[in-house]
Amino acid sequence: MGGYKNRILEVDLSVSQINITDVSEEDKRRFIGGSGVAAKLFLDRFNPRVDPFSPDNPLIIMNGPLTGTTLPGTSRFAVCGKSPLTGIWGEGTCGGNFGPELKFAGLDGIIFKGASPFPVYLVIEDDKIEIRDAKDLWGMDNYAVTDLLKERHGKERNPKVLSIGPAGENLVKFAAICNDKGDFIGRTGMGALMGSKKLKAVVVKGTNKVEVSSPEDYAALRKTLIAKSRDAVVAQSFRSMGTDAGMDLGMMTGDVPIKNWSIGEDLHLSANLGGPSLTEKYLTRNHACSFCPVACKRIVKVDDGPFKTEEGPGPEYETCASFGTLIMNDDLAGVIKANEWCNRYGMDTISCGATIAFAMEAYEKGLITKRDTDGIDLTWGNIQGAIELIHKIAKKEGIGLILSEGTREAAKRMGKDAEELSVEVKGLEAPMHDPRGFHGMGLAYMTSIRGACHLMHLCLGIEQGIATYPEAGFQENYIGQTSEGKAEMVKRCEDFGIPCNSLVICEFVAWTFSANDLAEMVRVTTGIDFSLQDLLACGERTWLLKRGLGNMMGVTGKDDRLPKRILTPLKEGAAAGSMPDVEKLLREYYEIRGLDEEGKPKKEILIKAGLEDLAKRLHG
Amino acid sequence: MALTFPSAEWVEEFKKQINSSEGYKKAGATWTAGVVALVTSAKPEIGIQEDVGIWLDLHQGVCRDAKIVTAEEAQKAPFCITGDYARWKQVIKKELEPVKGMMQGKLKLKGDLPTIVRYVKASQELVECTTRIETKFLDE
Repeated sequence: MGGYKNRILEVDLSVSQINITDVSEEDKRRFIGGSGVAAKLFLDRFNPRVDPFSPDNPLIIMNGPLTGTTLPGTSRFAVCGKSPLTGIWGEGTCGGNFGPELKFAGLDGIIFKGASPFPVYLVIEDDKIEIRDAKDLWGMDNYAVTDLLKERHGKERNPKVLSIGPAGENLVKFAAICNDKGDFIGRTGMGALMGSKKLKAVVVKGTNKVEVSSPEDYAALRKTLIAKSRDAVVAQSFRSMGTDAGMDLGMMTGDVPIKNWSIGEDLHLSANLGGPSLTEKYLTRNHACSFCPVACKRIVKVDDGPFKTEEGPGPEYETCASFGTLIMNDDLAGVIKANEWCNRYGMDTISCGATIAFAMEAYEKGLITKRDTDGIDLTWGNIQGAIELIHKIAKKEGIGLILSEGTREAAKRMGKDAEELSVEVKGLEAPMHDPRGFHGMGLAYMTSIRGACHLMHLCLGIEQGIATYPEAGFQENYIGQTSEGKAEMVKRCEDFGIPCNSLVICEFVAWTFSANDLAEMVRVTTGIDFSLQDLLACGERTWLLKRGLGNMMGVTGKDDRLPKRILTPLKEGAAAGSMPDVEKLLREYYEIRGLDEEGKPKKEILIKAGLEDLAKRLHG
Repeated sequence: MALTFPSAEWVEEFKKQINSSEGYKKAGATWTAGVVALVTSAKPEIGIQEDVGIWLDLHQGVCRDAKIVTAEEAQKAPFCITGDYARWKQVIKKELEPVKGMMQGKLKLKGDLPTIVRYVKASQELVECTTRIETKFLDE
């Protein structure tokens, strides 16, 4: 099959042993690659009940068949394992350049097992693979270690670097993994998992090509897709303003959370924090992931003032909201500085910003005081205080120790009424999209595999009407503030969206394609006779597999819920008074999806999807 | 009396509604980016023989001039948004948010996208103004 290298590196860090393995062709056909194949690998070879920080919890880095091709939006790779933050299946995908380079080095992925007794890093130069001592790198931030490793391993050939910063080393539960300073696997704490293995970095250089099965069809499709991803207005919007282009429109539709999800509208904040402001004031140039014509990444610089920042990777929409509207900060330069520190330490800006918003509300309500914060003023809007807290969290100092656990655990330890201030699902802090404005997103948060997630189901673009896929059975114009018909929409969104993490492809670029385009990308690359129906079937199968894994890790129907704060109506803004009908949504969804009362996929549904082994393990 | 969209009478009433809108006055108070033209594509079967432009000279929360122009004239505006009749009807009926319509490719924008995004609230207020006009649609 084209697209695959049919080689997965297996590295046992406990004994410094390196092997080559692979998955069966059947599993590639059924789960494609990326996090789909990673989940199958986990089910087959590892224990779902493992402690997330046990050496027996693997860290799985996995490309998809499209990774490393020159089709637009396909530079992505997935990183998976049992999440230290949530205790259930964790995964994240990342753009940048590491995935393609790994493929050029002849690898579809890497499974890290065990844990090294001392810090190490892995160097891959085509077939030359070596585990090296990283004691001198331990403690370095992501920017410094990336520069050093590029210099050390032949800067002229531009090796690609995957690294963790001090937050990952210190096992901050929402630590991220960094690719070449600007791209991150942010969600679910995969950086902490990497840190628990004492794995500081992976350096890769490759010289191979990625072969595709139908070169002529591939070339024709590529031409079409480049035009679509270049010309679509959403792509132009992201190119000119970054993903933060959505802030102003989001404020008008009730999408943007404000003041720890307690306020419905603040036009002053969106005017100061939105894409146009970021572009006009601080953008120096665009940056693109490999082979992407959209180039949504921002390179920014703050020339002077208290948040002076050298030119470097800038914030996405999620960060502008989490360190902006969510904490009532209107200073975009402060957001840029907070983003830089999160990048350097290696922390998910969504979970980190949400945790700081939680702390600010706890401070306002007197649940914590300056005595608890070592004198830091956590008044709403104080971005300087937020940045001081970032340092404490990354270093696990003072109050940073409990905040480094994420809001669910921090609220438990704080006691009193703190749990009401924690906005998470299954332990994952909610991203910056408010279900009161879009009820389908509320259901998607409840049923998403990894907790409150805005990406693994394409629901964001589809429900908001930014992306339309009528050939996949979606309507063109969903009404955001209704729960009617949303269970069917979300199930379809999941089945359609989950394969994006298997291919692996950028959701935002996929917004500019048709549904058939995605299936066609698989066909021309791999040679598999692959239709849109196959893509949807693969999505359903992969969702069931990951849900089953989650069940084995402890997920039950009780975990499919929304936090109390999101179930409190807003008084102002576009979503004022609006509330997802949780009971109706879940009742209809469970019926359509085929989940039993415990939240497990029913045996017959699993068997129908070809998951007999999982059915046996879940139901006996 | 219902006014036909598009027509000189409808455009004149649109101007009146804009200038009596407190919402638009506030949301568009800093708008100095120039004229916005809205072009409805030709649809002979309902009587629109050629593309029709609506010229809105907007400045700091006020509509200084509004008139029907040719499509050629409309293209001279710094911002020109083009759509077919059904799309504009959806916008006027508040079934299609204009910025979303542009994202979906249902409305074509010529002009600086960040400026339009920055004034999304003003665009919503303009739509609100159209809803206050008793409108007769040519395809009904």
